[in-house]
Amino acid sequence: MGSVESAQQRPVRLVVRDDLERSRLTVFFRLVLAIPLFLWVVLRGIAAFVVGFVNWLAVLIQAEVPDSLHDFVASYIRYSTQVGAYVFLAANPYPWFRVQQDYPVDVEIDPPVRQGRWGGFFRLLLAIPTLLLATVLGGGFATGSSGQGSATASSSGDQEAFWLNASSVGGVAAAAAFLAWFAIIARGNAPRGLRDLIAFTLGYAAQAGAYLFLLTPRYPTSDPALAEPYSELPEHPVRIVVNDDLERPRLTVLFRLFLAIPHFIWLALWSIAAFFAVIVGWVLALVLGRLPDPLHRFLAAFVRYATHLFAFVYVIGRRFPGFTGRAGSYGVDLEIDPPTRQIRWKTLFRFFLSIPALILASALGGVALVIALLAWWYALVTGRMPDGMRDLGAACLRYSAQTYGYFMLLTDRYPYGTPILRAPARVEVEPVPPGTAPLLGDAF
Amino acid sequence: MFAALAVGAFLLYPTAVPDDLALPAIDVDAVFGAGSVAEAKRYERVFYVLWVLAQVALLLTLWLYARRGVAFVRESSAGPIGTGMLLGMLGLGIVWLVHLPFRFVAHWWARRNEQSELGYLDWLFEDWAILGAQFLSICIALLVVMGLARRLGDWWWLPGAVVFVSIAALFTFVAPYLDFTTDPLDDPALLAAADEYRAEVGVGDVTIRVEEVSVDTDQANAYAYGLGPSRRVVLWDTILLPPFDEDEQKVVLAHELAHHSQRHLPEGLAWFALFAIPGAWILMRTTRGRGGMGAPAAIPLALLVVAVFQLATAPLANHVSRRMEAEADWKALQVTDDPAALEGVMLGFSETGLGDPDPPGWVQLMVGTHPTLADRIAMARAYASDK
Repeated sequence: MGSVESAQQRPVRLVVRDDLERSRLTVFFRLVLAIPLFLWVVLRGIAAFVVGFVNWLAVLIQAEVPDSLHDFVASYIRYSTQVGAYVFLAANPYPWFRVQQDYPVDVEIDPPVRQGRWGGFFRLLLAIPTLLLATVLGGGFATGSSGQGSATASSSGDQEAFWLNASSVGGVAAAAAFLAWFAIIARGNAPRGLRDLIAFTLGYAAQAGAYLFLLTPRYPTSDPALAEPYSELPEHPVRIVVNDDLERPRLTVLFRLFLAIPHFIWLALWSIAAFFAVIVGWVLALVLGRLPDPLHRFLAAFVRYATHLFAFVYVIGRRFPGFTGRAGSYGVDLEIDPPTRQIRWKTLFRFFLSIPALILASALGGVALVIALLAWWYALVTGRMPDGMRDLGAACLRYSAQTYGYFMLLTDRYPYGTPILRAPARVEVEPVPPGTAPLLGDAF
Repeated sequence: MFAALAVGAFLLYPTAVPDDLALPAIDVDAVFGAGSVAEAKRYERVFYVLWVLAQVALLLTLWLYARRGVAFVRESSAGPIGTGMLLGMLGLGIVWLVHLPFRFVAHWWARRNEQSELGYLDWLFEDWAILGAQFLSICIALLVVMGLARRLGDWWWLPGAVVFVSIAALFTFVAPYLDFTTDPLDDPALLAAADEYRAEVGVGDVTIRVEEVSVDTDQANAYAYGLGPSRRVVLWDTILLPPFDEDEQKVVLAHELAHHSQRHLPEGLAWFALFAIPGAWILMRTTRGRGGMGAPAAIPLALLVVAVFQLATAPLANHVSRRMEAEADWKALQVTDDPAALEGVMLGFSETGLGDPDPPGWVQLMVGTHPTLADRIAMARAYASDK
């Protein structure tokens, strides 16, 4: 897994000073309020693209981006991150039309350094994988990924295409923000896990933008450890444990999807049994107030098996998994606590309560799929899996496992959206003093 | 066991083709045209070379895999059978990779000689689909073999062979019901001929269907498959097009119906059993040194043994196949009473498929599932002169 030290050493760093407090009124109208910001981001983005091209020429000629141009694009990335944080509900204050120095979600970007000319020359090509990942994470405007879907949809006029594209606009960040919107309206503050997830996507988008516009030669990392300084990992009855190494034998990578064929068939058969087990378990849990041990074991093995299998398919895990979902049998494993008493009203409405988590799990599934695609090529060439991608993939699998664990009554604890895999060493962050960050009213 | 196999073979061997039928010598240059024969030989020669190279590559690869493949055991977190499946699939995958260049050259050659219009991308996609099916098949086979071997020890081969024959029979029976690519025959003349022939040979319930392949190839073909109520005859639509005339189409139809009337598919399954039983026994004996078929470490070696066994028994299997095809030709001649039409079909096959009418003996021995075009014409002429 990655380390907090590496997060601090990155040339592009996300800083989160948000206190989770939200104004219900501004959240309710957030998208409408953000319209002027969208326009301004687009205009600044056009300028940033032009400057980015000049940066490209500068790197080719003198192997370094001039300070003034660097600052201009860095300012755009900071601003688009702040707007992204506002739109996706990771921050509360209105960002206004210039970079806020004390905004609760901000980016620090190192000064320009010398860059390799070859890396600069092929930057657009090299950035394709990171742009792909940034698109499904969808945490910002710096790379222009967030607007592509709607443009395609509106030009085609096809309703189905519209909804397909709409679901991809913003990716994980949009899905998380959509869910956070309801939570904030109800509670008046942002759910910590969703906020941390959105912040992580913003940080990745900022890295991708900085790399694309040649602010740094360092390739973006998707290591969830980057989110450790501002995230927390509360105890959860469904936990992922990654003991795998990063070696990936090319032969098993090349045929990975085909090697999974017998597993897919087995999973399909097991799913039928699990479906009926969930129905029986639901009735029993309502009557008894807990899931009986045999059913819990059966469904826990099913969820664990599915996690093993998809870890293998997505190249997140190295080895060919077993068919039984036995605990401790795979390098990317699930720890599932024994059955406990569950609140009956939560059990009664479990299906409906699962829907928001399923939406986010679906968005994270898209991330895992892109990771699989990128990792497949990478591992085929190098025989290794990048640790950042592996860990982000594991985080996606964990959320999915927690969601299905919740849906299948293994626990009544709701899935937690944080991207980090291990509890961070506690670093005190200084919250923004009340009154210093402009809320909407102050801004106007 | 060998005595029982010999008795089985003795019972299955008889054919409707008269034992004393003397096939006249055929001057292929005169019958097919010297230019056509030369062109067909030039075309087929590439495939002969590719076949030899592919077999050598296959055996070498599997030999290496038998020696080194055990190392992949550590890439599995599954139990013994799951790990065996992994090793089996990886072995197939390696073979597929090694064969890929040969198949690519073969496809390029077929396209170059206008024998295939299938694009490279479609070809590759089709190849992947076939590979997926092969992976699934080997998993099922290993599940059966390893499951039995772990339970029965060295005696797995006997029930194992029975299970394989049963699976083959089941597949033969079910396959026609899984076919969604053919359409019913709608040619009135052929339908009338089919009714007549079906009544004459006593296979009234066999359905006739047409498969559209003309978008991808000009080659002509037809086949019979299914068991009992699932029996079918499928004609490629290329056989319904020129240069084949109606009489020639009828003789092809009669040939395929003869496969059903002569019970070639059940016979084929019986022959399969005669190969599967000793094959399973040999597999048991050769893999003992690696813990037997219940141990994953034996799987790479087992793949090599199966490949060698298939290659070694290919001449015999092809001989059986040729006998059945010759019998179907003979029955078609008897039903249609039209040797000229059968001769015309063979000329058409040579023309549309660039088939070598008289391939080298070793080719016929190793890959010849049908009598040569020259032999089939010789049979038609022998029938005519007998009459």
